[in-house]
Amino acid sequence: MRQKYFVFKCVAASFLFFSGILIAGDQCITCHTTVVGDKPSEQFQHDIHSKKGISCADCHGGNRNMEEMEAAMNPKEGYKGVPKGDAISQTCATCHADPERMKKYGSTLPTNQWTNLQTSAHGKLSTNGKEHIAQCITCHNAHGIVPVKDPASPVYPLNVVKTCTKCHASATFMRTYNPSLPIDQGEKYRTSVHGMLNAKGDPKPAVCSSCHGSHDIRTSKDAKSSVYAVNLPGTCSKCHSNAQYMKDYKIPTNQYEKYAKSVHGTALLQKHDVGAPSCNSCHGNHGATPPGVESVSKVCGTCHALNADLFSSSPHKKAFDERKLPECETCHSNHGIVAATDSLIGVTAQAVCSRCHHENDNPKGFAAAKAMRLMVDSLSLSGSVATALVNDAEQKGMEVTEAKFKLRDARQAHLEMRTMVHAFNEAKFREVIDKGMAATALAKGEAQGAVDEYYFRRIGLGVSTLIMSLLAIALFIYIKRIEKKQAEQR
Amino acid sequence: MSDIPDPHVQQDKRDFLKFALFGGLFAWLAAVIFPVLSYLKPPKQAEVIVNSVKAGKIADFANDSGSIIKFGNKPVILIRNPQGEFKAFSAVCTHLECTVQYKKDLGMIWCACHNGKYDLNGRNVSGPPPRPLDEFRVTVQGEEVSISKKS
Amino acid sequence: MKPTLKKIYDWVDERLELQDLIKFMAKKYVPVHSHSIWYYFGGVSLFLFTIQVVTGILLLMYYKGSEELAFESIQFIMSKVAFGWLIRSLHSWTANLFILTAMIHMFSVFFEKAYRKPRELTWLTGMLMLFLLLGFGFTGYLLPWNELAFFATKVGTEITGVVPIVGKPILQFMRGGDDVTGATLSRLFGFHVAVLPGIFTLLLGAHLLFVNRQGMSEPLHYAETPEKDRKTMPFFPNFLLRDLLFWLIVLNVLAILAVFFPWELGTKADPFASAPAGIKPEWYFLFMFQTLKYIPAQIWFIDGEVLGVLAFGAAGFLWLMVPFWDRQSSAGESKRFVNYIGLFVVMYIILFTIIGWLA
Repeated sequence: MRQKYFVFKCVAASFLFFSGILIAGDQCITCHTTVVGDKPSEQFQHDIHSKKGISCADCHGGNRNMEEMEAAMNPKEGYKGVPKGDAISQTCATCHADPERMKKYGSTLPTNQWTNLQTSAHGKLSTNGKEHIAQCITCHNAHGIVPVKDPASPVYPLNVVKTCTKCHASATFMRTYNPSLPIDQGEKYRTSVHGMLNAKGDPKPAVCSSCHGSHDIRTSKDAKSSVYAVNLPGTCSKCHSNAQYMKDYKIPTNQYEKYAKSVHGTALLQKHDVGAPSCNSCHGNHGATPPGVESVSKVCGTCHALNADLFSSSPHKKAFDERKLPECETCHSNHGIVAATDSLIGVTAQAVCSRCHHENDNPKGFAAAKAMRLMVDSLSLSGSVATALVNDAEQKGMEVTEAKFKLRDARQAHLEMRTMVHAFNEAKFREVIDKGMAATALAKGEAQGAVDEYYFRRIGLGVSTLIMSLLAIALFIYIKRIEKKQAEQR
Repeated sequence: MSDIPDPHVQQDKRDFLKFALFGGLFAWLAAVIFPVLSYLKPPKQAEVIVNSVKAGKIADFANDSGSIIKFGNKPVILIRNPQGEFKAFSAVCTHLECTVQYKKDLGMIWCACHNGKYDLNGRNVSGPPPRPLDEFRVTVQGEEVSISKKS
Repeated sequence: MKPTLKKIYDWVDERLELQDLIKFMAKKYVPVHSHSIWYYFGGVSLFLFTIQVVTGILLLMYYKGSEELAFESIQFIMSKVAFGWLIRSLHSWTANLFILTAMIHMFSVFFEKAYRKPRELTWLTGMLMLFLLLGFGFTGYLLPWNELAFFATKVGTEITGVVPIVGKPILQFMRGGDDVTGATLSRLFGFHVAVLPGIFTLLLGAHLLFVNRQGMSEPLHYAETPEKDRKTMPFFPNFLLRDLLFWLIVLNVLAILAVFFPWELGTKADPFASAPAGIKPEWYFLFMFQTLKYIPAQIWFIDGEVLGVLAFGAAGFLWLMVPFWDRQSSAGESKRFVNYIGLFVVMYIILFTIIGWLA
């Protein structure tokens, strides 16, 4: 082990020694800057690679010590010219994927960019099978590369959007790879809170790579993508749950915590129901902003359409607008929304109606809320009585499929009632309740029939036991009599 | 036992005993035969599993309409599209198991509970339903339309 | 009414000479002694057999012996068919009671040494019927195609598979393949409703014929009892009416069991599910099942299970052959040794059944 290390040190030392001599006389840069005067060689002088002593020949091949162009740029000397296609990234990877080499240059950069890129959407899609969409230079430039933290870098936070939109805002380019992908992300981003802060020169708000990743960008349908529906809340929370990071923006940082416990959060994060809304479903993704007060019901209404429609035509609509109350949120809250229960309606402590409809200042609304709650309660009570009766009959081993079929209708009426409540119209509400009550009555009747049948069996048994006992007794007496007669005869 | 038997009493007793014996026997036979005969009477639902049900005559179903047919203990929706073709799906919404209906103005299968919508191939196209509706097979024989389970 | 009945009777009698039959039956005498009660168990087994035939035929009207429909059809019988619950519960309860009464009948014959000459053949046919009964129980158990039955059958058939040389073919024969599948169900169904009843009826006919030819066996001590102390009663009508009385009571008990303890159906068998905990065979196989559990895996160089199965086979065979090796009984002597063996067997079966039940 120690011996190996010694040998390595010797080799490294001699390498550094020789390269030191050679840099002084790097013929590529000398010639290209003084004689040719091309742009790449000019840019390369500011390049971090150049500062670390890396020569043109390290990427392009050839002999940097030869003065003669024919000799220096001779394929026999290993001259490759300008790398094309995937060869570009492979050239970068010869160092950037090799931890040993990177350490030699004193770099602390990760070395997995090339592998990540190959698994990403950019590294997988290709029009000819050899040359994939993005090479390192697509984002990082070829010559004049500076560290990410340098504001001149195309991947510095304030420049990222411009870099990505080079391709992603170009319809002609995007058509070649993914014609259905929108090209307005950049534009939308400019309208978002993130984008506006970014435009003001704040490097902290999210840019493309904050959510999508950098080298390992996957499509949003890829389950491993950071923007896959199930992973998205976690991605947003990287910043939004970080109180330290968010402290300049004066907004809460508990949204994720609340969301994770909400009905939407549990559906998405635990049951992996990708139909359940994630952060972007309400806030938008590229144009992320909090929805305005009057648009809340539109946002919720994209999924809860019926409820939103009923609400918009209800008397509450005007009242809410006048008081500047956000529509759905006022009763249901936002991030921490839980599954609605029957107890939301009414005038009890848990109910939401009485928050506005006080007994004294609004007796009409108060009475309506109270009446509706009463209807809900009687429907649930009737439903649970019917269910209990059906269960009882089933427990007794009776046939209850018919009753269960009726119970379905009752359950449906209950669900419809939950929707209909948003019309805030007592008459319409009563209609649905009546439908449910009728269904539970039918179910109860069926179940009662089954329970009666159960007792009929017992009665039947009783009757036949009576018959058999009588017969047995008669038989017994008959036997005794025969035997008595036989004894007499003997 | 030592008493001289009164022939009258003996006669009565015998008659009563015989009556009890025969009466009991007949009642017993009835108690055995009644369940057996009831058992042999074909039950309302003749088959173990409902594999197909008769929905009705073609004329009973207007074009561009849907009707709920009871299939065993589950509802099935029979759709006749504007072109007059039949399709049938489980009428149990895949979201919260409400019964769906045909919405003529949308030309879609619609669930009243949460506004779930399915196209006429049973695919969930909008709203909360997570899965398409299960399809049933419709067979038209002469005038008779029947629905059966897809195997 | 009476003259009409009498007329019908006379009409039949004229043609079939019923009077002779009654005279023949009246001539038959049943010994009356302290162990007379055991005589009733043969009769009640016969009665239970007829119940099984009747309810079995009724069940056949709706039962479907296929993997997809077996469970559903029983569910259908239990819930949709009028009195289906009663017929099915009766069939299941009677099956168990039948095996119990048949076993009591067998052991009473054993201890009374009624198998002695000249009744060796009666014993043989009886024992074969008892084995068939176990076969009925085993094949019938799978027919509802529920989880418990499925796995119990799997284990049960597996045990036969351990018998050297013939075990594997027997196993495949019973299962209709290498595994318990729908094929096994069809097979066992066929056995349960056609093969076994056919053989059983033949044996039963022979058994009853023998009993009729030879009359009831008298206890050993009658040889020393003076003729006048040998109390008897006529088979007809005294014994037959008593039989009927007993049957009536048994039928009532069955009805009560069927109403208050309806036979469970459980959940449908899923061949791909893992076996639920506590799989047990029916109670009449429990003592063997439990014994096999206690036998060490390896005895000398023989597999413990193989040894157990072979031992039970040998014991069954010896038991079947008891009239031929218990020679003294035919000479009218009671050998203590045989009684001790019988007692041991009874105790063994009871003990291991209880252990198996509690385990």
